[in-house]
Amino acid sequence: MLAIEAEGLRKVFTGRGGGPKGRRRTRSVEAVRGISFSVEAGERLAYIGPNGAGKSTSIKILTGILHPTSGTATVLGLTPWKQRRDLARRIGVLFGQRSQLWFELTPRQSFDLLGRIYGLDRSATRLRVDELGGLLDSRDLFDAPLRNLSLGQRMRCELAASVLHRPEVLFLDEPTIGMDLVAKQRFREMVVRLNAEQGTTVFLTSHDVSDIEQVARRVIVINGGTLIYDDRVSRMRRSVLSTKLLDVRFEQPPAPGSLDFDGMQVIKETGLGYKLVVDTERRSIREVLDTLLDTQRVADISVLDPPLEDVIARIYERRPS
Amino acid sequence: MSGLTPYAAAFASAAGRVVRRPGELAVRLLFYVVILIVFTALWPAAAATAGGSIAGYSAQALLWYVTVAEASVIATKPRLIEDIGNDIGSGAVATEMLRPVSVFGLRLAAETGEALVRLAMALAMGCAFMLLVKGAPPRPAAMLFVIPSAVLAVAANLAAQHTFAGAAFWLNDAKAAWFLYLKFVFLLGGMLMPLQLFPVWLERVSWALPFWTMAYAPARFASGHVDLWLLAGQAAWMVVLASVAGAVFAAGERRLEVAGG
Repeated sequence: MLAIEAEGLRKVFTGRGGGPKGRRRTRSVEAVRGISFSVEAGERLAYIGPNGAGKSTSIKILTGILHPTSGTATVLGLTPWKQRRDLARRIGVLFGQRSQLWFELTPRQSFDLLGRIYGLDRSATRLRVDELGGLLDSRDLFDAPLRNLSLGQRMRCELAASVLHRPEVLFLDEPTIGMDLVAKQRFREMVVRLNAEQGTTVFLTSHDVSDIEQVARRVIVINGGTLIYDDRVSRMRRSVLSTKLLDVRFEQPPAPGSLDFDGMQVIKETGLGYKLVVDTERRSIREVLDTLLDTQRVADISVLDPPLEDVIARIYERRPS
Repeated sequence: MSGLTPYAAAFASAAGRVVRRPGELAVRLLFYVVILIVFTALWPAAAATAGGSIAGYSAQALLWYVTVAEASVIATKPRLIEDIGNDIGSGAVATEMLRPVSVFGLRLAAETGEALVRLAMALAMGCAFMLLVKGAPPRPAAMLFVIPSAVLAVAANLAAQHTFAGAAFWLNDAKAAWFLYLKFVFLLGGMLMPLQLFPVWLERVSWALPFWTMAYAPARFASGHVDLWLLAGQAAWMVVLASVAGAVFAAGERRLEVAGG
């Protein structure tokens, strides 16, 4: 069964451009350019792209906040921009940079109010909050003043607020933005658990490559408002996510040629700091780390995902011209 | 909040939230008392030079007038228009559009909940202050009408502020609207003095606009004048203002849907 279906979605924003007063021209920006895709119920989809790619515009169209300029879309059989309030009862939305909890209330008090807004009675809200407290390992956070919670803890409460009314589809717009690594990891686990235990369809936008690898099973990449890639994450990992970056600081300069080995390449060198790229298809990260630690005096080392811009560049490289 | 509709729940929750910000509430009430202290010196002197009363208001009536007029206006957030405008301009209102209820309805319910708590506290404090310092109101029985009239004043004020703030859907900024609106309430609403003290042409203008419902009407009862038609007028304006504000928000949301935030 399809949860989301979009066909030729297009959105043009029109506004006043710059220029001298009285001679300002109307300027149009095409944020989404004829995107088509569908999402099965229960799927975990990452919808990714760099800043300005059209991710948030797409999510706003699919949740009913924006009308498309042309094209059609249905979410759970409803047309979002025509049936926004009906759809609101069946979807959950979490914007990484917008809170839906009230600052002066504890999360539990906010859930009580949100429960009423979604038409749940008090006992149903209590049961659901209790269930989510267990599912999201957040029971102890629900009675703390919101202002005392860290960003990661607050986002777990935001996630609980988004799924309080048992939505069938959960839209997450840049949910991990600003979180530290541990909080991001925890949040991703919660989203996967929600999908596994409650069958919630997950539609995730992000420009963090790790969000894709750890949350989604399928990935759609958009760039400049156009869909440029749609495949399983496992296939993407093999084709375009087969590199990792190593940020290494040595205690003393490596001997000339000592970093030249198969599957690894030096891309930047600043004093004792080196940036290395590893082709994980040819050599595993563990092997590379073992070799480096055995042969060099390493002061610090971190493993990074390639930036999304590099991933997109690789997608373009591999596309048939 | 068992058994409450979403709007009643938002009202109740917001009313409870006011007391969680005791600092803000205390500063506002302190400011209110300072204003009353100034007026207790000003109006008796003005009335004395005018032969004991001005436009039919004794010094005592004027002091009780100001006590209720000020309480009715300070019950709402002074920068509410700007706050709503910022929420619209920043796109925060989009989050509220994802709920299965009216954005305007929920906001109005919550703001009314907060404002009525402030109103109750301000009226209690203002009336106690005036009783202690200047004695009873000129016609104590008329005070019974102050409560429904002050509630209608606050509701009409909030509905009108949402109408003005709705301009931000088109202008992305409600700062100018906020400044203009406050001046209208201060002057044409009769917050500083009764409309009867204005020049005739200004009094006529004031009666033609809705601002008198927000300060003058409850204050008129407090000054001992039982003009029951004021309540009917307030209720009628309240319906008009809430309908206009609802329509502005609905049009603004449609504009946001088409043009983006």
